[in-house]
Amino acid sequence: MTSHDTRTRQLPQGVGRLTGPWWAFIAIASAVLLFGVYAYWRQASGGLGETALADTGTMGGATWGLYVVMVEYFIGVSFAGVAIAALARVFHIADLKPVTRIAELLTVGSLLVGLAAVLIDLGHPARGLWHLLLYARPQSAFFATFTLVGVGLLLASLVYLFLGGRRDAAIMATYESRLNWYHRWWASGYTDTGPERERHMRAMFWLSIGIVPLLVVSLSTEGLVFGLQVGRPGWFGSMQAPDFLVLAAASGVANLIVLAAMVRRALGKAGEAVESAFPWLGRILLAAALAGLYFMVVEMVSLLYATPADERLIAEALLTGVYAPITWLSFGLMLIGLAILTRLAAKRAWHVGPLVLASVLVSISAFAERYLTVVPSQTHGMLLPYEIGAYFPNWLEIAVGAGLFALGALLIGLFIKVFPAIPMTDEEEVSAHA
Amino acid sequence: MRRTLTLAMVVVGIALAAVGYVSSAGWSAQTLADADPAFVAAPLLFVVGVVLMVGAAVVYELLPDRE
Amino acid sequence: MVKYAMAVDLDRCQGCRACMESCKVENNTVQGNFWMYVFRFEEGTYPNTEMSFLPRPCQHCDNAPCVKVCPVGARYKREDGIVLTDTDRCIGCRYCEVACPYGVNYFNWVEPKKAQYPVVNWEDEDLATVTSGAVPPYRNPDLDELQGPEQRHTAGGGHAKGVMEKCTFCVHRVDKGLDPACVATCPTNALIFGDTEDPDTPISRYLAEKRTWDLLEDAGTEPRVHYVGGSPPTHARVEIERPKARA
Repeated sequence: MTSHDTRTRQLPQGVGRLTGPWWAFIAIASAVLLFGVYAYWRQASGGLGETALADTGTMGGATWGLYVVMVEYFIGVSFAGVAIAALARVFHIADLKPVTRIAELLTVGSLLVGLAAVLIDLGHPARGLWHLLLYARPQSAFFATFTLVGVGLLLASLVYLFLGGRRDAAIMATYESRLNWYHRWWASGYTDTGPERERHMRAMFWLSIGIVPLLVVSLSTEGLVFGLQVGRPGWFGSMQAPDFLVLAAASGVANLIVLAAMVRRALGKAGEAVESAFPWLGRILLAAALAGLYFMVVEMVSLLYATPADERLIAEALLTGVYAPITWLSFGLMLIGLAILTRLAAKRAWHVGPLVLASVLVSISAFAERYLTVVPSQTHGMLLPYEIGAYFPNWLEIAVGAGLFALGALLIGLFIKVFPAIPMTDEEEVSAHA
Repeated sequence: MRRTLTLAMVVVGIALAAVGYVSSAGWSAQTLADADPAFVAAPLLFVVGVVLMVGAAVVYELLPDRE
Repeated sequence: MVKYAMAVDLDRCQGCRACMESCKVENNTVQGNFWMYVFRFEEGTYPNTEMSFLPRPCQHCDNAPCVKVCPVGARYKREDGIVLTDTDRCIGCRYCEVACPYGVNYFNWVEPKKAQYPVVNWEDEDLATVTSGAVPPYRNPDLDELQGPEQRHTAGGGHAKGVMEKCTFCVHRVDKGLDPACVATCPTNALIFGDTEDPDTPISRYLAEKRTWDLLEDAGTEPRVHYVGGSPPTHARVEIERPKARA
């Protein structure tokens, strides 16, 4: 790749070509996002009282609700993206390479959505940003959410995406297009010489080595946000951190599979490259979902067998009471997902359809599991004999949540039209120069 | 030059993050009433440290070769 | 160094809830917020029932979970033992509320205003004859003053939307040498407040004479509110009425 002349052929992987289905996708995502923005405007002007959130105790509500569930879910999802990308790079797993960029994109997107949910949940979002910079205290588990996740992990993921994409950007810059300036900016002088490649490999290797412990530490602290609370039955315990990580891995890989399948469909022939990753992702999802199910079963057995008095209320609510439909839905979906994955693994045939179905089921199960972590311990977890509380998100919270989801989808949808979603192969590069 | 600058960024980043972290914690405070960071914006120092560490990778790759 | 604490004598408490009323009036807390709350329990089945009462102010814990989790140091503990919230610092994350095992925190979900929760019609003329037309939250000028050596905005309630508030032991009164409003109002002297470092204060002598227990001792929070008489509450005790303005 030494030529600097520009080409007039179409950009690869549908970049720059705005198709009808793509416009439809963008229109729907934008509409959902706009409605979410409207709902948030209502919340920002009226206060969090516009939501179904309420104080615990005498008010009998949940002070953390859907937004915190979304924080936990999406920060969890971010885990798998960059972890898979790091895995592929450090161990040179060629089959996973085609999904590395989608994985990095998923991490960036889910982190942005998760962090936006943090701000949306604050009573004073602007003051939050400012005061965290001035006064944040490491004694609070939130310190890591703000510094390690919000800055470290997000920046590292962006750097990962940026550096990993320079070579492709340089190839794209050889095409004549309206995006040429952007691709040249991204390539930032990359010419794919031997020393450059070597330097790139070294930088990415060390970044991968650094990012994995950063992921584990920062995401463990997300579990500890709950696990360190001795005064809240159902939360306190050392298992919260590993539980969080396992569910993060399962939900993250599941989302990655769904996203990769969508990219494959959207890109047609060019998208077939991601298929080599499905057996790997399927097996990783199977392992993570099995571990997730293991944690669920252990938790249920503990609840059923020897429950301290204060935990019993939560146990009953989860297993037979008001939260039972969500508990059993979560459990059932995880089981069905696992059954599908096991069948695919036994047949050694990772068909996209069933794999995506299993991934969607695992994703929904993980979301429900996050909900069950956050909410019941507030409504049913008061140590003093307050009357049992209740919480279910109202339309405004659901609209804001859907808006956040649409924001992530929109970011990814826009990205794949300005940059190749799948790292370009040497053959593609050759054809670009043909 | 490239290695030196990258290494310097990582080392300074770690140092700033460490100082920022310890200062943010206010562990030297005698009571919780003055458990604020040892100096205003100590957490910002931690964040700058993290940014420098991650940014070192960009500098390592992007710094042009000496002709 | 002064260390404040409160003793609650359950053998004296008659569940009149005058402390709750005086707290609301003194601190201008918004409707539905009970910085001081008195549980009225019923235990057993009719006709063999027994009533009991449990006043529950903030416990001003020495090992306060709310102080530990506050990400910006808005919730802090003074040297004299009082746990306060700096409403100018609070970012409204509500971590203190989920961390507190006692349920004493109240968030300002909306802009504190007249008739925040439509339970009571404050326009009612009959009501106005009783309240002299006063509608919470009205302003007690003391509550806008900066408090203590830290000079932080901590006293009283109903300050702003999106911040957390809770019992302050009436810090604005205590700093003037007065008792908290609930203590000053209690008709049976069930609440006793003072410095426990000085062995000659009424509370020190009282605590020395009596057997005391703390609320949720197992939580390790080391409360500065000590209970005398009665027994720790269990879930077998049922509240005889729902607080108004519940979700």
